[in-house]
Amino acid sequence: MPHGNEIELNVVVNGQPVPVKANVEAPVSTLIEHALKQSGNSGQPIANWELRDASGQILDPTRKIEDYNLHSGATLFLNLKAGIGG
Amino acid sequence: MSVVQYADPSVSRRKFDRELAEYRALGEKYRRRGWFLVDFEFPRVLVALCAPNLKPSAVVVGVAFDYTNYDACPPSVRIVDPFTGEPYKFKDLPNPLNRALPAQEISIPGMPKEQKMLVGSVQPYMQAYGPDEVPFLCLAGVREYHDHPAHSGDLWELHRASGAGRLVRLLEIIYRYGVEPISGFGVQLVPQVGFNYGQPPS
Repeated sequence: MPHGNEIELNVVVNGQPVPVKANVEAPVSTLIEHALKQSGNSGQPIANWELRDASGQILDPTRKIEDYNLHSGATLFLNLKAGIGG
Repeated sequence: MSVVQYADPSVSRRKFDRELAEYRALGEKYRRRGWFLVDFEFPRVLVALCAPNLKPSAVVVGVAFDYTNYDACPPSVRIVDPFTGEPYKFKDLPNPLNRALPAQEISIPGMPKEQKMLVGSVQPYMQAYGPDEVPFLCLAGVREYHDHPAHSGDLWELHRASGAGRLVRLLEIIYRYGVEPISGFGVQLVPQVGFNYGQPPS
């Protein structure tokens, strides 16, 4: 059960849902780190990932989680960026 | 083109089933974004990507995946007609999935050195040798990309562990570059001017 500044978010990593506890005063990058660790994704640096909310808005990794007014139970989508390609 | 299943079929099927189960668990959220799971039977999946922000909403493209041999090799990904399932030729693609490249400063001939102009350009993720060819998604995590001789230095094994070939990840990219940028319907009207005639003389 999360308490204080802690909220529990549902981060969908490349399609795989992962529950992640996060401190709202921490930067978004820590949330990404935890989600990647819990989903066993260690092959790509954080910079190669992109976090979005349910409406498609990209969350800036350097900003605090509380800046996005997220509540416990919210679902976020973390996906590997497209990269160079083309 | 059908591909021989050389990886253990039970492994590929299990991983395919996981992709589908995870997709369907969040199916309602994906549908709100305009993703419709149209058809699925191992090893293939067909998803229609729509633009719900348009009025009336529009079905933009279909995406056909083939997870044969997954994840010993990445899935095949084709942009298809969502109604027939037929892959589009390059000339018929509703959208080549353009990616904006950083703007470049270019000197203007005949102007002082410090006067430069910024030129932006785009690069399509969909690539083909000609307008009548079926294009492929030029992206790590896609079978056609890793099979291409120009990408022999970028092996699938370098991307497999990070989920580069996963269904939702690939849909996310196709949606981002192919559907999200659509802000409205483009209408081209071509007025034609001619003479109006009254009653012809007898």
